[in-house]
Amino acid sequence: MIREFEGKTEKDAISKAVAELGLQQDEFDVEILETVSNGIFKRGSVKIRVHVEDESAGVPLTDFDGDLEKETAEFVTNIIEKMGYPGSVSVNFRDERKLGLDIKSEHSAILIGKKGKNMDAIQLLANVYLGKITPVDEKPARVIIDSENYRRRREDSIIRMARKTAEQVCRSKNSKLLEPMNPFERRLIHTALNDMNDVITKSEGDGLYKQVRIIYKGSRE
Amino acid sequence: MERDLVEYIAKSLVDYPDEVTVNMIEGEKSTILELRVSDDDIGKVIGKHGRIAKAVRTILSASSTRDGKRCVLEILD
Repeated sequence: MIREFEGKTEKDAISKAVAELGLQQDEFDVEILETVSNGIFKRGSVKIRVHVEDESAGVPLTDFDGDLEKETAEFVTNIIEKMGYPGSVSVNFRDERKLGLDIKSEHSAILIGKKGKNMDAIQLLANVYLGKITPVDEKPARVIIDSENYRRRREDSIIRMARKTAEQVCRSKNSKLLEPMNPFERRLIHTALNDMNDVITKSEGDGLYKQVRIIYKGSRE
Repeated sequence: MERDLVEYIAKSLVDYPDEVTVNMIEGEKSTILELRVSDDDIGKVIGKHGRIAKAVRTILSASSTRDGKRCVLEILD
């Protein structure tokens, strides 16, 4: 399980985590994400990510909140089993709008697929399915499927790649076109490069999979 | 098996699961799966811009690499 907490100091954030999770401090690992030091107008803050050893690992279909979650997880479990890559599905996280499901399988590599292609396909069907079984007067939650923490690793690698390419653009002063990506991934790049003064980003092409171009504009400030 | 997979997905998504049939034509290197659903349900298995059909085909090809065969999905109307 992974959760994020924010506090004025690192200690403050950790004690929040202790209080909310009901665990001792030595029962989880802490990773510091962001430290904002005290400024003139802003008080400093520390963002941490907490990793808790999953004791329920390998126990399938547990901790579901209501039939909709349970049926959606069963739908995904059945699909991967009929694909010939059996595994277990559990709830990763949930909030009012989203339901995160995690697939544990020894075949996770093929279930994720090239650039997450197979996992995205399973996710799409899970969303259609949840939309169908949700009562008409309710707005269905969005299902987000993950396995082996792939989504976060992919996000990190996209941002790293974008920063590296932006540096190259700054040096060569020529624009560069990235590979086609879906809207979510393109947004990551636009936001990641937003604070770089020397480059701007633009999406090119049609349809769901557009390409981001990183363009040098020089710092005119 | 791929036939069960397509049948299961289709039955889960349509309004008239009893009218879902999947016909399998096995060739040497590839298998053709013919999916037939109620006229009212065609949109449910194809989706906007074929999004659902594309997802099913992606899942199908991931599944069929297991035994080194190609699988083709045809949606009949």
